[in-house]
Amino acid sequence: MRRLWLIPMVLVALLIPVAVLAGSEEGGFDGVVHSIEGRYHVRATRIPFLGLISLVSTKATHGGVSGLHVAEFDSFTAQVDGDELNRMVEEKLGAGWERIIRETKREGNEQTLIFIYPEGDRMGLFVVDLDGHEMDVVQVSVDPNHLKEKIGSLNHHHHEDDAAEGDSD
Amino acid sequence: MKNRIITFILGAAVVGASAFAQSSQLPAPPPIEKELAARASNVTEVTLGKNMLGFASKVMNNKDKDETATKHLIEGLDGIYVRDYEFDKEGQFTADEVDQLRKYFETSEWSPMVHERDRKNNESTDVMVKLVNGESHGMFILDAEPKELTIVLILGPIRMDELGELNGVAGLGALGSIGGVQHSPHGKGEEKEKAKTMEKDKTGGNQ
Repeated sequence: MRRLWLIPMVLVALLIPVAVLAGSEEGGFDGVVHSIEGRYHVRATRIPFLGLISLVSTKATHGGVSGLHVAEFDSFTAQVDGDELNRMVEEKLGAGWERIIRETKREGNEQTLIFIYPEGDRMGLFVVDLDGHEMDVVQVSVDPNHLKEKIGSLNHHHHEDDAAEGDSD
Repeated sequence: MKNRIITFILGAAVVGASAFAQSSQLPAPPPIEKELAARASNVTEVTLGKNMLGFASKVMNNKDKDETATKHLIEGLDGIYVRDYEFDKEGQFTADEVDQLRKYFETSEWSPMVHERDRKNNESTDVMVKLVNGESHGMFILDAEPKELTIVLILGPIRMDELGELNGVAGLGALGSIGGVQHSPHGKGEEKEKAKTMEKDKTGGNQ
């Protein structure tokens, strides 16, 4: 009976984190996509079975690529202020993400933003690309060494094939 | 005792803040850059901060000769920044604005190394080096063409003869030619002239 006062205390302790989480702004990939949807009044097309595709790509690349997220905006007709888009994406991605490339072409409504997040031996890659009436937002985690080896081996095969073709001629 | 603790905490905060400021942030862009960006039809910005260069050097292959050389060059750098502005037509930026950009960096630490003017074609190239105890610790390149303006800023210890290695880094291929000036014994007269200026500033430009 004496410990009944603990009940409201525990309830308050449990409710505070819930309230904080509910009130906190969404960040990361979903945060960026929702901000774009809200600001430019567009709706992202989600690719069906993307979770499965991501899993398959992780297996296929032996961990070289993982955590694939893609959102596609078709019929993107709004005029985009590059500074505003950049600020919005930076804000939603949060600390740790560094923008390495920003390209703006006034003609044709083209914007490209590429952010990188070093995470040990891997890196997170976040791309926002607007080309005319289509915008793509992609996030992926890659192992640069693994990909480099893979690309190197593909180049090697390609050169071997070229040499073989040259010999047959 | 209480005062000592407060002093210690304040000191630690100042040291921490300055370390953070040094490690994470880029130099503030000259105010004129924003105006140029607003007028340009195409703007390209490449920003590789210390963290990013550190990460890039970490994932570079030690077995590959070219990659080892690039790794050696970039691992000591504090940042590489490239800004490229393309304009629809000529006359969308003035010589005065190019001067303002140059003057932003033309402080006591920065020594002019190459200063080239082509009045006929309305082109100019400036290369400045930041010298610290006779060693180059930064490079600023400003290239103005009638419809294009390019700024390259490299911060950190640089060896001119290694600059050519940046050829392999996307968007920085042009730097190879600066590094290559010293390598090309049969280069054009213009390149030789640049090389002379470089040598002169490297040996005598300690400020």
